[in-house]
Amino acid sequence: MMGGGELTYELSQNAYIKLDLHALKHRTTAVNGLLLGRANGDDVLEIAESVPLFHSHLSLLPPLEISLILIEEYCATKGLGVVGYFHANETFDDSELGNVAKNIGDHISRYFPQAVILLLNNNKLDALPKGKDRGPVMHLYTKDAYKSWKFVGSDGGSHLTIKEPAANTVLLDYISSEKWHGLVDFEDHLEDVTKDWLNPELFK
Amino acid sequence: MVTKTEETQLNRLESQVEHGGGGVWEYLCLVRKLKVRRSDKVLKHGLSILNDPKKRSSLGPDEWTLYEQVAVAAMDCQCLDVAKDCINVLHKRFPDSKRVGRLEAMLFEAKGSWEEAEKAYASLLEDNSLDPVIHKRRVALAKAQGNMLMAVECLNKYLNIFMADYDAWRELAEIYISLQMYKQAAFCYEELVLSQPTVPLYHLAYADVLYTLGGLENLQTARKYYSSTIDLTGGKNNRALFGICLCTSAIAQLTKGRNKEDKDSPDLSSLAAAALEKVYKQGASDKLPILTLALKNLRVSS
Repeated sequence: MMGGGELTYELSQNAYIKLDLHALKHRTTAVNGLLLGRANGDDVLEIAESVPLFHSHLSLLPPLEISLILIEEYCATKGLGVVGYFHANETFDDSELGNVAKNIGDHISRYFPQAVILLLNNNKLDALPKGKDRGPVMHLYTKDAYKSWKFVGSDGGSHLTIKEPAANTVLLDYISSEKWHGLVDFEDHLEDVTKDWLNPELFK
Repeated sequence: MVTKTEETQLNRLESQVEHGGGGVWEYLCLVRKLKVRRSDKVLKHGLSILNDPKKRSSLGPDEWTLYEQVAVAAMDCQCLDVAKDCINVLHKRFPDSKRVGRLEAMLFEAKGSWEEAEKAYASLLEDNSLDPVIHKRRVALAKAQGNMLMAVECLNKYLNIFMADYDAWRELAEIYISLQMYKQAAFCYEELVLSQPTVPLYHLAYADVLYTLGGLENLQTARKYYSSTIDLTGGKNNRALFGICLCTSAIAQLTKGRNKEDKDSPDLSSLAAAALEKVYKQGASDKLPILTLALKNLRVSS
């Protein structure tokens, strides 16, 4: 078993950008997503993929269960696992990790004890065009020894990094070209199965 | 609610306007009529009329409607200076208008001056306690401050007066869901199903809430409402089809070892599974193997 404190988390650029674009596409509602990846050795958790999930009724079980069942089957074919949860709050200045996010995070950590929650930080996202911040615009939460979710490190810290250093530049480019129009989440997929939640076309 | 035809018409008109093909005023009227939120477009194209004295005066009395529309859109886009200019023009023309007073209160809200906004709405309500828009603004104000319990209280007050406002019931249900108060949310959906029994969306949401609540009785009722959703949509609702499979699996787990009271369900569940497999085969054949495995696991675990 890995020690929670020493673990670092490496987020791939595509996984990162998909989650950001999902929140930008549905600015007026809370959104969530799943982080897929694997433990790399003893001290790195690699978040290689992400799946944008829902933009309404986040706390209802049926859609969530369906998505988890299907995405876990997908993971099994790729040698990945569900390693965490992403959440963006409904209002701009709400930077608290709410109960719904914690509950879903709890569920995931039952199957993957080192699971993390990433919470979108709107202030950082908003400040991106002005600054030269290379760190992710998300806050990292992990489970502490008492099994409750704890905010890890301030200002990005060294625990959570994006694999590709220019990710924020790419993100800004996508924001200015309104790339979120092409993003598909699991909710869209349930409406119309021809829409692919893996978003294979998004970065082409 | 906006129908498919209306949406197509709106999108066609929008792209025409975006490419400079004219029809700006028709577009803005349609946005108002359908009550859709296209604030960035309304702001851009509305201003193009307001800033052109010739175009503006050709509208006649509709000019003031446009000022109001652009003011609201500008607040939505956080262009508070534009909003302020529009409101000032309206205030000059209609100094005692309550409708303009409402816009002024909304400007406080957009600035995040919650207390001043609250005060302004309270005084407007004193003059007219039955103004639905102001009641709704107060709900939005509570939500913006993250005070969900206050939002619930305001909405309940509103629904005491305007019991037939379905959108308000839906909003209340959604707030309850976000607070994980599922029993209360279920009550709202019961109201909605009773008042509009042919809207599949309400059947589906009600079933989802019941499933989330759990327990044998709720699961059995949930399955009935998933079935009615399928009935009302002519079999074209994937979420309801999945719902049937989830319910059947959960019911089987609860009744394991007991007498088989759930005789019909295997049939219903395999019908739903077969329908889903057909949908995936046609629309997402690459995901079919995943789906088949997932459905099989659901059945095995039950």
